[in-house]
Amino acid sequence: MRKLIYILCLVLVGALFVAPLIYLVTWPDLESYRLALSNINTVKAISNTFLVSLSVGVLCLILGVPLAWLLTRTNLPGKDRWRSWFCYPYAIPPFVGAIGWIILANPNSGLLNQLLPFQINIYSFWGLVWVETSFLFTFVLLTALASLDRMDSSYEEAARLSGASGLRVFKDISLPLLRPAIINGFILSFLATAASFGVPALIGGPARIYLMTTQIYTFQRMGTTQGIQMSIAVSVLLMLATFVLLGVVQKLFAKSQVSLVGGKSARPSLIPLGRWKTPVLFCLSGLLFVLFVLPLLGILISSLAQVQGDWSLSKMGFQNFERVLFETEETSRALTQSFVLGLGAAALCTVFSFFFAYFLVNTKWLGRNLSAILVSLPFSTPGTVLALALILTFSQGYFGIGPSLYNTLFLILIAYIVKYQSLSLKTMADGYSQIHVSLEEAARISGANWWTVLRTIYFPLLKPSLVASIFLVFMPVVSELTMTILLTGPGLETVGTLIFSLQEYSDVGGGGASVLSVLVVSTVLFLNFSLKKLSKGRYGL
Amino acid sequence: MSQVTFENVGKKFGQDVWAVQEFNLQVNNGEFVSFLGPSGCGKTTTLRMIAGLEENTHGLIRFDSDIVSDPIRKKFLPPEQRHVGMVFQSYAVWPHMNVFENVAYPLKLKKISREQIKKDVAEILEIVELQGLADRSPHQLSGGQQQRVALARGLVMKPRILLLDEPLSNLDAKLREKMRKDIRTIQQRLNLTVVYVTHDQTEAFQMSDRVVVMNKGRMEQVGTPHEISNEPKTEFVQDFVRSHQ
Repeated sequence: MRKLIYILCLVLVGALFVAPLIYLVTWPDLESYRLALSNINTVKAISNTFLVSLSVGVLCLILGVPLAWLLTRTNLPGKDRWRSWFCYPYAIPPFVGAIGWIILANPNSGLLNQLLPFQINIYSFWGLVWVETSFLFTFVLLTALASLDRMDSSYEEAARLSGASGLRVFKDISLPLLRPAIINGFILSFLATAASFGVPALIGGPARIYLMTTQIYTFQRMGTTQGIQMSIAVSVLLMLATFVLLGVVQKLFAKSQVSLVGGKSARPSLIPLGRWKTPVLFCLSGLLFVLFVLPLLGILISSLAQVQGDWSLSKMGFQNFERVLFETEETSRALTQSFVLGLGAAALCTVFSFFFAYFLVNTKWLGRNLSAILVSLPFSTPGTVLALALILTFSQGYFGIGPSLYNTLFLILIAYIVKYQSLSLKTMADGYSQIHVSLEEAARISGANWWTVLRTIYFPLLKPSLVASIFLVFMPVVSELTMTILLTGPGLETVGTLIFSLQEYSDVGGGGASVLSVLVVSTVLFLNFSLKKLSKGRYGL
Repeated sequence: MSQVTFENVGKKFGQDVWAVQEFNLQVNNGEFVSFLGPSGCGKTTTLRMIAGLEENTHGLIRFDSDIVSDPIRKKFLPPEQRHVGMVFQSYAVWPHMNVFENVAYPLKLKKISREQIKKDVAEILEIVELQGLADRSPHQLSGGQQQRVALARGLVMKPRILLLDEPLSNLDAKLREKMRKDIRTIQQRLNLTVVYVTHDQTEAFQMSDRVVVMNKGRMEQVGTPHEISNEPKTEFVQDFVRSHQ
């Protein structure tokens, strides 16, 4: 029975997580690569992707690493609070930030451009880099924080006792030890930029800076055979580049990881900021305001403004909310569909993980390690690429079997599950590994078969992990845009695609996108708070 | 209660790593047998093969005349059907159930009536001296008390064999002394067949009818505590006994 379910899980992993990606790779022939690479737009998109991602990666390091140090190693007052605040951008969909910055700094009627003596044009290379950075620095921050938290503090204490000052210790000891985490954070933010769609579409589009993802989208929307061929070729290139980079990092990582965690870790002794305290607090507040508060303020003001571009207080009201929420027929459909898809994906992912994580943690069966890696592949695959792979796989039934799922909510659901399963599986595996195997054995001895053990021992003990898993899948899914934009069709709106279309063409100058963005941000933050409260701080930001 | 018979039992990992090899033993009805040896000698593996938590790769294991495991005939009775009680080194008291629910669990699975369960649990809690603590949750109990919950849970279904895996190693010296006596008393009172795993010679000698000294997966000597300490048959047993005196 157990073996049967395990084999079923493996089949699912193979069929849904691996086969579509392999299928995608085998699709294009040499001719279509030649065609794609001789296209001036593609070449430009590739070099743009590289330049933008590199700039974003570097900026993320400059922002994230010192922040991580300040938030773990100094006596900064209210560290936990600061930590949460600086991590919030991680939970908010970046395209919402892009809308915020468009409101703040578009060249025609930008709020900041009206207030400030100088002009900022967000529709530019650096505008694009900035908006990406303001969200993706959290990748560096989170990995660096995790490493600093785990690092054996005696390394640093030994250096201090040898006579090194606080900053010196950071430079000589912490930074070298952090290197794997920093490289990893850099690669993650680099790859996240290369994989992003919303920000480059909204900001890069008007600036005529196309990345590979937006180029794939454009090719795909052309609808011609040649367009499709080229979009697939570019997708495969993007995916392979991603996996090669990740593979290289994993290799580097595997070796240096060992040295990081030494013996028992005591609380590290904190470095007093002394007379720097006030300036540091001032800088942090300023940074947080610019990174996080300002763009949200932007969408809030825009959602209230009756005339976009006229930001005076007397012209504020709730007309936009009324129009978008009650008078636009797509809205209620998009909200319902996003909610149902989110819940469906979260539930299905969690059920799968509940079983599959058991096999990963509590058995030594063949193929469990490999299949765990395979499940995480789609999560690392750029959403645009994954969506395309799923379209190819499912558009004539599953490899020709059964009905076509293209242009159905069902394919969107599959995409969400395949993409975010990894988050759920990690959470559940983590949960299982906290439970000593003797608790299961004691139940078996008492006469419980496997089902009964799952029902009476693991299910009740794993409730916190199950809840966390549901939240962790639901949150990104409910505002997903990158994949959905390729999979959507008439009547298949989700919150993400509706915001995108309102912003791009159907409600330009109406503030409709802002209204929904406000809704998304408050929902995501509310869910995050609930998760943090429910899990007593173990999950959530 | 049952007797347990090992016939040429072995457990091999991979190509040629033997965890246990050529194990032959009969534990009689109502007998208290200890497996004694250094860590990694195969004693816990052997115990877990009785429970069905590990599968032997060679030989066969019998409870009375029932074969519970015989790899040649592909016969393997899963742990939930073996009807043995076991006390784990980590206690394995379920944190999401209170004392009563923990002890009642094996009975509940047998679909025994509520009344009967209440009666049986109360009776067993009295035997292990936990009366009045039925509503406590595990985290409100001391290590010694959790140990007794585990013991009660192992005893409540009137198992064919009671297995104890280093049950006292997490207790302090004074409590350990008392538990040894209590376990032995309960065993004799209920006429239990007990297999007890320990690396502590005093413990084994004090409690057992017979002791099996193990080393590197093999039995070195089987005998009463008296025989083992006075007539050690191998050099290993001699060294092991001497170094612990």
